[in-house]
Amino acid sequence: MASATTDRPSSSVRGLIAERGGDFSGYSFAFLDDMAKREIRRATLKAVAIPGHQVPFGSREMPIARGWGTGGLQLTLSLVGSEDRVKVIDQGDDASVNAVNLRRLVAQMTGAEETLDTAEATLIQTRHRIPEEVMRDDQILIFQVPIPEPLRFIERSVAVARGMHAEQDYSRMWLALYEDIVRRGEISAGAGYPVMVNSRFIMAPSPIPRWDIPKLNQADTLFLFGAGREKRIYAVPPHTDVRPLEFEDYAFKTEEFDGLACEVSGATDVYLVESPGENGTSRWTASDTNYADKVAAGIEVNKQW
Amino acid sequence: MVAEQTQVPEPSASSEPLLRVRDLTKIYESPGQRIVACEDVSFDVYPGEVLGIVGESGSGKSTVLQCLFQDVEATSGQAFLRSFEDGERSIFDADRRERRELRTHQMAMVYQNPRMGLNLMVTAGGNIAERLLAADWRRVDEIRDKASDYLSRTEVPVDRMDDFPAFFSGGMQQRVQIAKALANNPELVLLDELTTGLDVSVQAGVLDLVRDIQRIYGMTAVIVSHDLGVIRLLADRTLVMKDGHVVESGLTDQILEDPQHEYTQLLVNCVTN
Repeated sequence: MASATTDRPSSSVRGLIAERGGDFSGYSFAFLDDMAKREIRRATLKAVAIPGHQVPFGSREMPIARGWGTGGLQLTLSLVGSEDRVKVIDQGDDASVNAVNLRRLVAQMTGAEETLDTAEATLIQTRHRIPEEVMRDDQILIFQVPIPEPLRFIERSVAVARGMHAEQDYSRMWLALYEDIVRRGEISAGAGYPVMVNSRFIMAPSPIPRWDIPKLNQADTLFLFGAGREKRIYAVPPHTDVRPLEFEDYAFKTEEFDGLACEVSGATDVYLVESPGENGTSRWTASDTNYADKVAAGIEVNKQW
Repeated sequence: MVAEQTQVPEPSASSEPLLRVRDLTKIYESPGQRIVACEDVSFDVYPGEVLGIVGESGSGKSTVLQCLFQDVEATSGQAFLRSFEDGERSIFDADRRERRELRTHQMAMVYQNPRMGLNLMVTAGGNIAERLLAADWRRVDEIRDKASDYLSRTEVPVDRMDDFPAFFSGGMQQRVQIAKALANNPELVLLDELTTGLDVSVQAGVLDLVRDIQRIYGMTAVIVSHDLGVIRLLADRTLVMKDGHVVESGLTDQILEDPQHEYTQLLVNCVTN
């Protein structure tokens, strides 16, 4: 009751509940009940066994709205233990409201440690970025996915799209890319550029920028993808071929920043985002805030994915 | 079965048939209703030959094509394509993947309505590219060269390659559809009433085109029409169908000059008088 007058008003789940005289005793470890976790882990194992294949799962009601990362959150909660160190990225940023809330929820429901440090984290849940810093084989990166079906925009029927995946019938996807080139002179997909996984399935990499696409190929890290609203889990296991779809004469290209450097850290060769500055100017900073902080602090970071 | 019906004259070419159809039957069944669309239809098509199927509306001639292209599932019967498992397994036993392969590589269909065969939301060039992409073409410049080659063969202005066929005239849509069907050099082309719905001068142009392509590239085709003029112009041999059955078959000239079956006589008389 007194917290409203303290210098740091409670905004955490635990704090809010404590203010109202409640506690967490009724909840399972990591929020989800055991059977739910078991079901999600089973779907995850199947997803790892069939790289790029979308596995249906029974997406649960979560304490955040669907579309706000429930798929990623359920994956995180099904895997996290009290010894884990958890990092949550929102468009590269650790400090956005959504990232902070998710990180606190996971930590408070499990006793896991919160961290902002990419190298220190064991589990990283991310919205639409892959860290600049190379991840290791003892870490897992969990993507929040809005639309898991890469064929959604060319085939509205889910049943037909699943048939196309089953038969590796991707000529219409290639046709859409051809038409894009005819109309715009290039493949215009920016975020969420479609990729071919293990020479078998076309996969939506979640709306990560093109910059991050090459990192998916032959990585040491396990990548898991969770779409809560669409009830799908899929995965790219370590050391898997992931290739962007491209024509021989229209090769895939990542974003270019024409020599711009991050205004916080001075880092170049990094994915930059533009924000409005003083007097109508713009300000370019590294999207990965933890990376920028490390570079600014003079810490050496390996970014050769 | 009735031997006379399935007997076909010796082809001029000495090779084996490219397509053998045996006892093809399609029955539409719903509670209290049983409609025989076609029954026990058998014929052979030889390489480089154009086989015509003629008959009135509802005679089952289009059903035969739809079954062969597997837009609808045949109730019974078999069809053997030379390039599919050496003609030893019926194409009706193909699984979904093999069926797709048949439809994108070995066979092509030209529908009466271009909307059926073309994707109107995709450019003319893209429609042709679709078949090439299915065959794993992965260079845009090669695809475009090939597409413009096919479009010029079918007399579609190449500068309209990147326009949508939705904005083309009916005759031009039909030409694009023919170009699409020819892309990838399918072994067998199925043509369903390709000039019906076009005005007479455009009809003549499309027919000339098909005849030229047939002559130059040695296309093997089955052409379905209710129009004896089309059959006379294009088909080497002809089947006459009525009420789902083949009532007469033979060389086209023979059938038109000396019809044996009562129905064929009626049909021929309608035209010549």
